[in-house]
Amino acid sequence: MENKEEQNLHATNHYLHYPDEKNVPAYLAYGFRPVFLLLSLYMVLSMLLWGLVWSGMINIPFMNDTLTWHVYEMLFGILTAGVMAFLSTGLPELFPGTVPFIGKRLKYVMILWILGRLSFWFIDITGVYIAAILNLLMLGWLIWFAKDVVLDKLQRHASLGYALVALFVIETWFFAAQAGFAQTPAMDILKIALGAHVVLILLAMRRVNMEAINELMEDKEIDDIYISRPPLTNLAVFTVILYTLIEFLYPENSALGWLGLATGAAILAITSDYNLEDKFIWNQPYVLYLSAIFVLMGSGYALMGWDILNDDIYGINHFRHFITAGGYGLTYLMVMIIIGWVHTGRHLTANIYTHLMVVLIIIATLMRGLIPFFEAYASELYLWSAIVWTIPFILYIKVFFRFLLAPRADGIKG
Amino acid sequence: MKFILKILKDFPAYLWSGWGAVASILLFIACWDVGNQVYGDLVLPSPLETFKTLSLMLQDDAVWREINITLYRASLGFVLSLLLGTVLGLIAGFFATASMMSRPIVTILVGMPPIAWIVLAMIWFGMGDETVIFTVVVAAFPIIFVGALQGTRTLDGDLKEMADSFDLPWHMKFLDVYFPHIFSYVFPAWVSGLGMAWKIVVMAELLATSDGIGASLAVARSQLDTPTALALVVIMIGSLMFIEYIILEPIKREVELWRD
Repeated sequence: MENKEEQNLHATNHYLHYPDEKNVPAYLAYGFRPVFLLLSLYMVLSMLLWGLVWSGMINIPFMNDTLTWHVYEMLFGILTAGVMAFLSTGLPELFPGTVPFIGKRLKYVMILWILGRLSFWFIDITGVYIAAILNLLMLGWLIWFAKDVVLDKLQRHASLGYALVALFVIETWFFAAQAGFAQTPAMDILKIALGAHVVLILLAMRRVNMEAINELMEDKEIDDIYISRPPLTNLAVFTVILYTLIEFLYPENSALGWLGLATGAAILAITSDYNLEDKFIWNQPYVLYLSAIFVLMGSGYALMGWDILNDDIYGINHFRHFITAGGYGLTYLMVMIIIGWVHTGRHLTANIYTHLMVVLIIIATLMRGLIPFFEAYASELYLWSAIVWTIPFILYIKVFFRFLLAPRADGIKG
Repeated sequence: MKFILKILKDFPAYLWSGWGAVASILLFIACWDVGNQVYGDLVLPSPLETFKTLSLMLQDDAVWREINITLYRASLGFVLSLLLGTVLGLIAGFFATASMMSRPIVTILVGMPPIAWIVLAMIWFGMGDETVIFTVVVAAFPIIFVGALQGTRTLDGDLKEMADSFDLPWHMKFLDVYFPHIFSYVFPAWVSGLGMAWKIVVMAELLATSDGIGASLAVARSQLDTPTALALVVIMIGSLMFIEYIILEPIKREVELWRD
C-alpha cells in the first residue's frame, strides 16, 4: 500500500490527471512514445538516404538545390518531432493540471508529421506548396498546443513559446523564398533558423538539465541541489541571437569573429552550474553527457569565430556541424534517452550503451567538423561521419524500443 | 596547510566559472572591433592587429627589459606600502586614540590626486626610480592602512575575553583568535593596493621617467603608434587580471569567509 502511494506520488510529478480513453496501445500512451519510435527510425533512415543522395546512388534533385533542402530537413523536419515530444511530455509537468495528450489524437498528429516527411522526400513530385502546408500546419499545431505556455500569467516558460513562434515565422519565410515570393537566399534564412533552434535548445535544456540532474542526485542520494541559473542561459541566448543577426547582415565582418568566440564562451559558461556548492557531480555520466552538448555547441561557435578572424582557414560551414550534428544531435539523443528511462517508469541509468551513444555522436561530429584539417580524406569523412552518426540511434532502437512499446515499468498509466 | 589544500581543490571550479567573464570580455572586444571599423586604424587599431603587435613585442628582449623595470618599481613600491601600511594600520587599530587621529590624515592621503603627488615627487626626487616608487607607496599605502586598521578595530571583544579566560598562550591567541580575523581584512586590502600600485606605476613612469612600460607608452603616443600603445595597455590589463583574478581572488574568497 505504501509502495502504491509512493508510486502515485511519483506519477503526480508527471501529470495530475490521465485521460480515460479506452484501449490505448502502449505506443500511444504518452506523447513521447510514438515520437521516439518514429524519430530514431527516421534519423537512421534519412541519414542513409542522404548518404545515397549525396553519393549520387539515388536521384532526388530537390528542386535543384539539394544542400538547402538537406539543411531544411535536418533542422525543421526533426524539430517538429522533438518539440512534439518535449511539449506533450513536459507540459503536464511544467503546468500541473494539463491533461496528457494521448491515444487517437496523438496518432493523428503523428500522421501529420509523417505526411510532412513524405511531402518533403517527394517534393519534386508533390511540389513545394504541399510540403509548406503540411510542415507549417504541424509547427502551427504545436504552437497552438503550447499556447498556455505563452499566455501563462506568470510567464514562467513563455520564452519557449516565443522561440517557437519565431521558428514558425522563419519557416514561413523559407517556404516563401522557395516558392518565389521572397528574395532572401534560402541558405541565409536557414542560418537564422539554426540560431533560433539553438536558442530553443538552450531554453529547453535549462529545464531538462534541472529535471534530469536533480532526479539523478535524488536517485543516488547526493544531498545537494542543482540550479541552472537563468542569467547564464540568458547570456548565451543573447550572444547567439546577436551572432545570428550579425551573420545575416554582415557575414564577413571581423567583429562577427569575436562575437563567435564570445558566443562559444557564453555557451560553455552554462556548464559552470554543474559545480555544486558541496558535492562533486562531474563524475556522474549524465553530467558529462549533458555538458558535452554545451561543449560541442560552444566549440562550434568558437571555431566559426576563429575561422572568420583567420584568413588561412575556410571551414565555417564544416565547423557549423559542431552545432548541428554535434550539439543539436546530442540534444535530441539525450532527451530521447532521459525521457526513455524516466517516463517509462525506470531509473535514469548509464550503461555501456548510453556511453557508446554519446561517444559515437562526439566522434561523428569531430569527423564531420574537422574536415578542413584533413581535406585529403574529405570524401571518406563525409560518408563515415554520417554512418557513425546513425549508430547511436540504432543502439537507441535496440535498447529503448522494448520500453517504448510496453507499459510503464512501475505500473502507472502513461 | 588545510587552507591551501582547500583553495587548490576549489581552484578548477573557480577557473571554470570564468567562462561567463570570458564571454563578456570577448563581447567587449567585438565592440572594440566595431569601433575600429567606424573610426579607422589610426584612432583605434583592430583587436586582431593589436594582439599581433603584442605577440611581436613579447618576442622582443627590449620590451621585456621595460616590463621588468616597471615590475621592479611596482613591486618595490607595493612591498614598501604593504609593510608600512600593515604595521602602522595594525598599531593604529589597537589604540583608539591613534585610529581616531589617523583617519583624517588617511582621508587627506586618499583624497589627494596621484598626479599631484607625481609633480611633488618630481620636484623632490627628480626624474627616476625614486619618484615612481614614492608615488606608488603614497597611493597604495592608505588603502592597506585602512584595511589593517579596520581588521584590528573590528576584533570581537567577547572572543578576546574568552581567550583570556581560557588563559591561552600568546602565540595561540594570536594565531587562532586574532590572525584569521585581521588577515580577512588585510588580505583584500593588499589585493586592492596591488591593483592601485600597478595602475599608478605606469602613470608615474609616463610622466617622470625615460624607461619602463609607462615611458614606452609615452614614446608610442609621440609617434602616433596606436597599435603599440594599445598592446602596452593590453599587457598592463592582462597581467593585472591574471594576478588579481587567477592568483589572488581564490585566496581572497577563502579568506573573507573567516570574517564570521
